[in-house]
Amino acid sequence: MNKPWARRAVSAGIALAVGIAVSGCAASGGDTGGAVSGDGEYTGPDVEVTFWHGWTGGAAPKIVPELIEEFNAEHENITVKAVPQEWADVIAKMPLAIKAGKGPDVAVLHGDDLATFAAQNLLQDAGGIIDGLGYTAEDFPPTVFDKGNFRDAQYAVPWSVTPLGMYVNKTVLAKAGITEIPTDEASYLAALEALKGAGVQGEWVDGYVFTGTFEFQSLIWQFGGDLYNEDVTEATFNSEAGVKALTWMTDLVKNGYSPANVAQDGNIKALIAGETAFNWNGVWQTTNTAFADLDWAAAPVPQIGEEQAVWSSSTHWVFPQNKGQDQNKTAAASVFVKWMNDNSLGWAETGELPAANTVREDPSLLEQYPNLEPFMTELEYARYETVSPGIAEANAQITLALNEALTGKKDPQTALDDAADKANQIIEANQAKYGD
Amino acid sequence: MTETATLVAAPPRNRAGGRRPKAGPVRKPTSRRKTLTAYLFLAPFLVLFLTFVVAPGIFGIWMSLTNWSPFRDVQQFVGLQNYIDLFTPGSVTSSDFWKSMSVTGIFVLISVPFLVVIPLLVAILLNQRIRAATTFRTIFFAPYVLGVAVIGVIWGYVLDTQSGILNHLLGLVGLPSNLPWTVDVPWVWVSLVGVTVWWTMGLNTIIFLAGLKGINADLYEAASIDGAGAASKFRNVTVPGLKPVMIFITTTTILASANMFGQSYLLTKGGPGTETRTVIMYIADQGLSQNNMAPAAAMSYVLFAALAIISVVNFRLQRERVEKGAR
Repeated sequence: MNKPWARRAVSAGIALAVGIAVSGCAASGGDTGGAVSGDGEYTGPDVEVTFWHGWTGGAAPKIVPELIEEFNAEHENITVKAVPQEWADVIAKMPLAIKAGKGPDVAVLHGDDLATFAAQNLLQDAGGIIDGLGYTAEDFPPTVFDKGNFRDAQYAVPWSVTPLGMYVNKTVLAKAGITEIPTDEASYLAALEALKGAGVQGEWVDGYVFTGTFEFQSLIWQFGGDLYNEDVTEATFNSEAGVKALTWMTDLVKNGYSPANVAQDGNIKALIAGETAFNWNGVWQTTNTAFADLDWAAAPVPQIGEEQAVWSSSTHWVFPQNKGQDQNKTAAASVFVKWMNDNSLGWAETGELPAANTVREDPSLLEQYPNLEPFMTELEYARYETVSPGIAEANAQITLALNEALTGKKDPQTALDDAADKANQIIEANQAKYGD
Repeated sequence: MTETATLVAAPPRNRAGGRRPKAGPVRKPTSRRKTLTAYLFLAPFLVLFLTFVVAPGIFGIWMSLTNWSPFRDVQQFVGLQNYIDLFTPGSVTSSDFWKSMSVTGIFVLISVPFLVVIPLLVAILLNQRIRAATTFRTIFFAPYVLGVAVIGVIWGYVLDTQSGILNHLLGLVGLPSNLPWTVDVPWVWVSLVGVTVWWTMGLNTIIFLAGLKGINADLYEAASIDGAGAASKFRNVTVPGLKPVMIFITTTTILASANMFGQSYLLTKGGPGTETRTVIMYIADQGLSQNNMAPAAAMSYVLFAALAIISVVNFRLQRERVEKGAR
């Protein structure tokens, strides 16, 4: 065997492969800045608008293509092409795609991802578009619009909101002789006590993101606390309010209102199986087909603390700053966004509330989807996810603390203190990573 | 990460392949053409290997020496800082990383013995002349073809604390019916190891079975003539005969267990707390979810080094024993 030949071939191969890898990753980002405007009309040349989203489950795979088909039919010079993929894939692939100029012209992101993308110059400043479309913060539920604001620039237009609510199995509730759904701490605890008397553990509390973390966040806000300080430089979820909130949850187990060691989704399964009366869960469960055989109701989460507050997530339209972004495409995309928001009534079918007030206040929405009513009333005082780049990693520490407290590994104060220490380290690292 | 396994396994193979031509006779042009043909046939694999194993491997080393971010245009070289952080107590990543390394270590320690011994016993049973041996072989192998997502969903239902079938059955026979199989220690370990054994034992069983079939039947006959019983035959014929297979199985099983991810990701979410968050789970989270790609790359290389050392030690130990056994 001609060894030098082989060695040369191998090293050439390696060099080539590394070259490909390096050049692929060295592709630099798009031109910065560049605010665009739009007025809901597009008169330019024919364009194809690429749209990335993560609606792969439930009713969405049927509704989204229908909406897009309708839009394409109405707009001769715009063709929207949707690319559905898992949310995790959208988040993972979009940054590199945008840097390489191969990202979408319009996309939908969750509220807690906006800042991470904006901080990296991956999104266009959409202030001009929003002015052109005539949107203001008043067109959406309180504080949602501001979640698209990062370092004094507006990057996003709200699309949907998904608050937490309380699901009630009325058959189980009736076992304890209760007909009124509780609304405050006194009536809620009375109901749990009555249920306990009837041999039912009324609310099964879990230490996972779905939905223990959402319950904790609702409670800390109700007790007057917050997860982070105002400029998100320090974790404050280990404050007195935070400890109160977590203790309230662990007390459910201690007082026998909840079994210990509930697995993820164990509580919603139990509600459906008729083993528990209450489950704090998201509006998306209104589409759960397993509810068909139940006598159930949804209600706003009870007010346990001094203030009214409830956790909600939100999704937003964004206009990626692709390398060499074609402004015609962005303008066309803004027409699409406006049209989608105007025609989002059917979106309620997916178990999300349309963010546009005009659509949500249309009486025909509640006629079609009466179960959404309690969630709509919650929007007056709903709180949304923290806006800060890389915050998801710090938020994961909250779930960890809940899990440790609910499995009895640590008491609430210690669990939250440890988590806050870690979160502070992460926040500090994020500031270095994303700049400020 | 499969590339770890490939990299570990690769060197001896290359060396063995490289040595042979030297010992051969002087080659004629035809044989040279044959060699060229052989390399041409190997080229497609080589291209894939270079593109998906070697290049990312080298790129990963470079990444671990920078503060790499998928968002930034320019990456700064930071030397060994990411590695130093991992070995500095109190840094953001070090305690979580070593905790997850120890979780993986625990899983390897408690799962590998079961994953080796149980398949060995099953293989011996299946090797007997019994009726429907093929059917049983299929039954034992069947779970292996399922994806980890399927396993996660099935066992999530079976192991649920309150509404799981397992606890229900335990309750029927008067045992505690509220065991937190996927929520609290030590039960999570029982679940993870149990599920993994059920899921993957088929592969090791089949390999052992092949090894058993390869043992010359004359040896058993000779042993019988010498008056050896079943236990003695197992000790003196079966075990030595299976040694090469045993090296392969322990090495691959250790590596597979060290790469455990899906079971704890789906069944326990790494909980309670971080008690079952394996190192692969932590690296994937840091690198892919939190965009901390540089520290994640450094962690991968620390894990790679650890696994490489374990594999080499394992290989040496077992080879020595085989050589002694041969003598």
